[in-house]
Amino acid sequence: MNWFKAITLTTAITASSAMAEVAVIVHPSNAATVDQAEITRLFTGRGTAFSNGSKATPLNLAESAAARGEFDSKVLSKSSSQMKAYWSKLVFTGKGTPPKELSSDAEMKAAVAADATAIGYIDATAVDGTVKVLAKF
Amino acid sequence: MKKTCLATMVAVALCSVAAQAEVNINGFASIKAGKASSGDALYGYTDEIDFKNESLFAVQFQSDLGEKLSVTAQLMARGNNDFDAEFEWAFLTYQLDDAWRLNAGRLRTPFYKYSDFRDVGYAYDWLRTPQSVYNLGFDTIEGVSLYHSGSISDMQSNIQLVFGAYDGEVTLQGTKAPAQINNILGASWELSQDWLSVRVAYLVGKVTVDAPVFNPLFGALNGAGLNSITKAIDFDEDDGSFFGLGLNYDRNDWLMVAEYTHVKVKDTFYANQDSYYVSLGHRFDSLTPYISYEKDEDDAKPEIYAGLPANFPLLLPIASIVMGQEFENTSWNLGMRYDFHPAAAFKVELTSSENNMTNQKDSLIAVGVDLVF
Repeated sequence: MNWFKAITLTTAITASSAMAEVAVIVHPSNAATVDQAEITRLFTGRGTAFSNGSKATPLNLAESAAARGEFDSKVLSKSSSQMKAYWSKLVFTGKGTPPKELSSDAEMKAAVAADATAIGYIDATAVDGTVKVLAKF
Repeated sequence: MKKTCLATMVAVALCSVAAQAEVNINGFASIKAGKASSGDALYGYTDEIDFKNESLFAVQFQSDLGEKLSVTAQLMARGNNDFDAEFEWAFLTYQLDDAWRLNAGRLRTPFYKYSDFRDVGYAYDWLRTPQSVYNLGFDTIEGVSLYHSGSISDMQSNIQLVFGAYDGEVTLQGTKAPAQINNILGASWELSQDWLSVRVAYLVGKVTVDAPVFNPLFGALNGAGLNSITKAIDFDEDDGSFFGLGLNYDRNDWLMVAEYTHVKVKDTFYANQDSYYVSLGHRFDSLTPYISYEKDEDDAKPEIYAGLPANFPLLLPIASIVMGQEFENTSWNLGMRYDFHPAAAFKVELTSSENNMTNQKDSLIAVGVDLVF
């Protein structure tokens, strides 16, 4: 019975978290467009510029933020553990540094609103006029 | 001594810049325990439970000096070295442009697919890299390395060119001997797309190994006018080469990794070594069970003494040294990774290894936690 409850609960949580949308955001002055492949490129350190050539500074949410797991699984198609394993390969071989991490949607919004090169993401419900939404997942 | 010097210099450089620039500190650790079956011995374990053999701690300092220059040093303490901390990596990085990067200092030699991060257990699923392949016994190089990263249509291309030297020890017939490998020149190329990657590596170098145990034999051979046999056995600036091929498949949570390597050192008694492994796993959310098969096949070189008369008094010792290199071993591993924490993975691996020459079987169970911080 307990097992059944646990499974039902897990399913309910999974279903509700699957509903949460992640919005990929940039500075309002940023005219770039991005697709999922390009976001993946920027957030895995394989690219440093938007497709129009302007510099891109990816910003990540900390693992404690709900939208982080959503972003990793929906946009990057990896679990947060897989992303950590990916970055540890680069960090400990001097080949790359992961994006800077911010602890909450509010901090992310403030950082993106203050930096014309920034690209980040937040829970879609947290979007306001200080940032520009490029895509939703 | 030279290496320590270099590492120290980089470390001092790092400390002196620390005052002005931001220093990133990252680390990783593995705590592993293992026990071989009664009477068995494998990978440094005996039938007594051991927590030290494969445990390690490492801290990395990286500092961006601006103007595309950065400095990195990694200090590692290994249990099998009594946790004495040593500089595993210490190098300067100069980012020439978006595609080209130059590293100089103490680097990891790019032999294998997992060479660069074989100590960072968190970065892969196995409890340890397959030992039939990852067995050269030396990992680092002092020199320079040029990296190029780019793309070819929808594939990512990573090329590494390396030049340098190794001055340390190699494992020869199970014992460590002082060695120098000079003029190491090599290249590796990895092509990858979403779920498939292929890697090829080729390195050459001039190998010198100082093994005094052979000196009486060489003296006797040279005394008998058989300097050519001495030359065919000893390691004196002899041509070594390494070829490696790797394949990685990761799609729909199925994981396949395979690697093949061929190692030889011309004009030495060192056997030509062929090794490979194939590993298959499946990711079930935070659980990743896997099974792998490994084989190491070393072909001795009896042609070294083929021309000697059957009654030649040194024939027996020469034959035993040369043929002592003949080796064939196969292993099966069954294991699992469990991501129980955002920064740590629990692992368990069972290994059964068989020496096909003696039919001696050894089995081992090891458990551990790999973490990054």
